[in-house]
Amino acid sequence: MQALTEFKKTNKLKIKHLDCGQNFKRRLAELGLFEDMEIEIIKNDNFGPLLIKILDSKIALGRGEAEKIYGEKN
Amino acid sequence: MVKKIDIKIGLIGNPNVGKSTLFNALTGAKQHVGNWPGKTIEKKEGEFSFEGKKIQLVDLPGSYSLTAYSEEETITSNFILQEKPDVVVQIIDAQNFVRNLFMTIQLIELGTPLVIALNMADLAEISGVSINIKELSRLLDIPVVVISARKQTGINNLLENVLKKRNTEKTKIKLTYGTEVNDELNKIKNFIKSKEKIGKRELNWLSLKLLEGDYRAEQNLTKKPYYFELKSLVQKSISHLQNVFGKDIITILANTRYGFIEGLARKVVNRKKIKQKIKFSEKFDDIAINKFLGIPLFLFIIFLMFQATFKLSEPIMGWIELLFGFLGNNVSSLLTNLGFSSLFISLINDGIIGGVGGILIFIPIIGILFLLIALLEDSGYMARVAYVMDKLMHKIGLHGKAFIPLILGFGCNVPAIMATRTLETKKDRLLSILINPFISCSARLPVYVLFVGAFFTAYQGLVIFSLYLLGIIVAILAGLIFKKFLFKDLSSPFVIELPPYRWPTFKGLFIHAWEKIWLFIKKAGTVILAFSVIIWALASLPAGVEYGSEQSWAGSLGKTVTPVFEPLGFGNWQSSVALIFGFVAKEVVVGTFGTLYGVDNIDSLVGTESLNNALQNDFTPLSAYAFMVFVLLYVPCMAVLAVVKKETGSWKWPLFMVVYTTGIAWIVAFVVYQGGKLLGLG
Repeated sequence: MQALTEFKKTNKLKIKHLDCGQNFKRRLAELGLFEDMEIEIIKNDNFGPLLIKILDSKIALGRGEAEKIYGEKN
Repeated sequence: MVKKIDIKIGLIGNPNVGKSTLFNALTGAKQHVGNWPGKTIEKKEGEFSFEGKKIQLVDLPGSYSLTAYSEEETITSNFILQEKPDVVVQIIDAQNFVRNLFMTIQLIELGTPLVIALNMADLAEISGVSINIKELSRLLDIPVVVISARKQTGINNLLENVLKKRNTEKTKIKLTYGTEVNDELNKIKNFIKSKEKIGKRELNWLSLKLLEGDYRAEQNLTKKPYYFELKSLVQKSISHLQNVFGKDIITILANTRYGFIEGLARKVVNRKKIKQKIKFSEKFDDIAINKFLGIPLFLFIIFLMFQATFKLSEPIMGWIELLFGFLGNNVSSLLTNLGFSSLFISLINDGIIGGVGGILIFIPIIGILFLLIALLEDSGYMARVAYVMDKLMHKIGLHGKAFIPLILGFGCNVPAIMATRTLETKKDRLLSILINPFISCSARLPVYVLFVGAFFTAYQGLVIFSLYLLGIIVAILAGLIFKKFLFKDLSSPFVIELPPYRWPTFKGLFIHAWEKIWLFIKKAGTVILAFSVIIWALASLPAGVEYGSEQSWAGSLGKTVTPVFEPLGFGNWQSSVALIFGFVAKEVVVGTFGTLYGVDNIDSLVGTESLNNALQNDFTPLSAYAFMVFVLLYVPCMAVLAVVKKETGSWKWPLFMVVYTTGIAWIVAFVVYQGGKLLGLG
């Protein structure tokens, strides 16, 4: 289990744990990002936000937030 | 006679699903924008007729869900529960079917009389996704209609279904969350039922929201005598479920809902693997969000935007000039022939036609600028800008999304400050609001246009661009300072969807821009008209003085404050007066110069020339630049202060804004003028 920021582009991952506040967790869940969901990293420049694919949409996620979300390679 | 509304429809959907396009297609120009009662959030409504029925359409805030993540989402659930629309139409993007269904589920949970409009099904087909409409409709027990908001197809079918839906019962489908969750929900329901008379729909919704830990649902209950008992019951349920599932309650419910949706999708969605060409979206994004090219591209686009604004508006402004020139000449000769006094003719000509006409001439510039900003917003590019700017924005304690209100500020700071509502925390909002006035709005443009016309004919675009850039730099510096001293620990999560690029519809763009232009025209007709008359009076009184001379009231007012501006290079009393009146609205500065220099019809060619000559007598290019810098940075207009008061809820922040912006303006203009003189530019 590693933070999302540790992954490179095109990695498919399963979300394992979210270490963020209730409200933000709920917002992410509505976007389709919650435990056991599969996502894909589209872009990780090692600075700035991450670009991830959740369900059928591209979502930009702040780096600070991505550091607190953990996933595992399938 | 005004016919009563027969049917009230709410329109809802995720962002970027074509909701505004559908709204515009249905209501056309017959829409009005107001506020939700007691809230600062915009409410858009429109009316139209269909099959002899008068239909009212209410545009609900676009959002991902009905949970109270932001104030907007509370509005939606309150609207559905309290105003009880006859039908709610949810517009779903077929390309993002599963995610959109999360909201459908919540609408069903809320017991909404629902009709689904499936948009962009054609685009989904191209990428190999087809949706079985009949099956979907049967499984959900909800009418589903395929539409294309852009091509305006399927709309009649949608409306027919809406009318039909109204006559049938509410959606019957029951969602089940599994026995464990259902048991806990029932416990909460039974408790509330025993204490309160409450409708069934509201009861279901409230219990679910309590279980989810939605604090807004709780807020309404804190005053009730049974609140603590209820709260401990809910807490017990939550910890019971979390023990059973080994997950927190949000994850449990998300998983249950998603499980339902996935099951549904398996039955109705057919995905074919199609070998796809790399889409334009992907190709463009390679540059637009590239770590090296993203920001230069953005700067280039903004630069093009301003160039286009000037080039496109020039000819139209010429026509308006001719019109007002013609009007001015003919009205004054007509009035003279009719035997009116010269004072009255001066009021009409110098005061009203000069003042208001001098402002209306800028409508093409403002209109085109707003049109281009709407293009950036509606095409999906603005979200990319938020992405590329996120890192820089972090330096001033904000995230990328806060950059969007800053760009909107180029149009007008009033809607820009209202747009800070999309930011989640109060501190983010306050910081964005405080730095917004430095972003040069379109009302400041007329002032620059006047001065570059008189002093910098060869470098118009460049000089104006430099002012916009200066505004951005000052905004960033102010942000840094505020971060350091006022809000040390702010940071709210950054998450934003990058929608596929789309060509906006012309209709949508025009409606978007027209709303803003109309606001401007209204301002010209009211505030600016009133102040034109006041300025005229100050310039004509006391009786007998030469119009706009030093002996007039305006002259003595100006001379009193002139010493303050002396070190900045514009110690002439006319500019002091212009700056004082510019507080009303920055574009008034232009009209004031016209009035004070005794130039009628500043929008005619001759008028422009004589105003230019007058300015050239009182300013050097350096002091003209310092003056523009001061206009850029000093106190925002009354409308901005009023909206800041409204958004922050007190006069403290607008007053602070007046002092600090004017202070900064003075310092920067001082540095520009004195520095320029030292460099031998004066």
